[in-house]
Amino acid sequence: MIKVTDSFERIVHWGLALSCIALMISGLGMMYHSFNFLAIPVGGLKYLKYVHNFIGLIFIVSVLFAILMWWKEAGILKFPEDVEWIKVAGGYLWHVDNVPEVGKYNPGQKAFFIAVALCGLMMSVSGLIMWFPLSLPVVWVRTMYFLHALGFFIIFPFFFVHLYLGTICSPGSASAIFSGWVTRAWAKKQHPKWLKEMEESGQLEVYGK
Amino acid sequence: MTEKITLCDLSKCIGCRACQVACKQWNQLPAGQTHNSGSYQNPPDLQPNTWAVIKYQEISDGNGGVKWLFRKDSCMHCTDAACVKVCPSGALYYTKYGTVGVNNEKCIGCKECVAVCPFGVPKYDAKTDKVFKCDMCLSRIENDMEPACVKACPTGGLQFGDKEEMLKAAYERVEVLGGDASVYGDKFVGGTHMIYILPEKASVYAGLPEHPRVPLSVIAWKDWLKPLSLLAAGGVIGASFLHYITHGPKTPDEDGDQVNTKGGE
Repeated sequence: MIKVTDSFERIVHWGLALSCIALMISGLGMMYHSFNFLAIPVGGLKYLKYVHNFIGLIFIVSVLFAILMWWKEAGILKFPEDVEWIKVAGGYLWHVDNVPEVGKYNPGQKAFFIAVALCGLMMSVSGLIMWFPLSLPVVWVRTMYFLHALGFFIIFPFFFVHLYLGTICSPGSASAIFSGWVTRAWAKKQHPKWLKEMEESGQLEVYGK
Repeated sequence: MTEKITLCDLSKCIGCRACQVACKQWNQLPAGQTHNSGSYQNPPDLQPNTWAVIKYQEISDGNGGVKWLFRKDSCMHCTDAACVKVCPSGALYYTKYGTVGVNNEKCIGCKECVAVCPFGVPKYDAKTDKVFKCDMCLSRIENDMEPACVKACPTGGLQFGDKEEMLKAAYERVEVLGGDASVYGDKFVGGTHMIYILPEKASVYAGLPEHPRVPLSVIAWKDWLKPLSLLAAGGVIGASFLHYITHGPKTPDEDGDQVNTKGGE
């Protein structure tokens, strides 16, 4: 087994993931009248508002940590190797004989990180303004509502694809974010270049074989 | 049910504030301590417990003198109301009279209506964490009575009646007034249910938007992004399933030391 994430990364990941899911569900309950029933378990829309607002604070802290922690590894596209990967869509959409080898994060994961970072900041700022709107010019506040809705429009597809790719679409991936350990075969398949680099520099943490 | 309109003829308004007081009385809205802001206008704006206020304005009469402009400010009761469009709880709703009602039981204090109203009408009360505004005395008009403000007006400046009838009366009155007089309210946001007869140009009145409309950001948010979000969410879930059953998962090779030659399957 090979270690791919440290415990702090996993804590931040789950803080972000769970708060994001809770925010999407509670937000849905307020955005669509047909989803108003989602407020029943917490005792009505007013309490759903509080749930949404306070979980938002956990989300803000998590997204800030996530950006600080991962932007160097996952926030910067590298040329030209990432372009080669993008050209074949990482082999995910059609049959590709030789997918370009990727390092710790492939360009798809980088795109996901960038989307979460930018939309996460946008949701944080617009959300806080929506929470305390009265002292600001109404034109700003109106724009914040629009941006907050736009954020959901963008984040949900990215979130769902991330969930799919990290679980059933790529067996063996999920343990990276539960225990932090993956199999060597998985690392070789998913991040061969990273595996080589780590082995060469002797930084690889291995348990068993 | 026929739509109802409150017709507010500002050429007949004498700034007596009977409507303002009658509104407070009928709706049991206590007065609060206010401060002199250098004007007879009091309070300075609509408040959670002041749903109608006479706006006092002094303008030049063109001969070196000053003249008063009075305007009863309260909810315009839009047919295409931004506040109803954004209200997440259904606290703001259209009544059978075409007016915009408020069900405060349902209000969750999100303040969305406060920011989107083109007239700046709904006011938030921090104490109750709810928003308040004029409901055109729904409790009265449901019982065949006119709104309290109309009842109290001593000059006939406020009238209440069926939409067609009131609009006809408004245009007739404007004809009589002549000059810059105009009907304000029937040409935008689907037509309002509070209609002004303005003796001066609309642009002269402070705080009265010349071309009020549901803000574009609200239309983009509620009319475009809401359905698009569901489409995108549904689309991506469907596409993922399709991907799984056609392309299939990417599994690690049995022997980890073998170089993968198949790629992406």
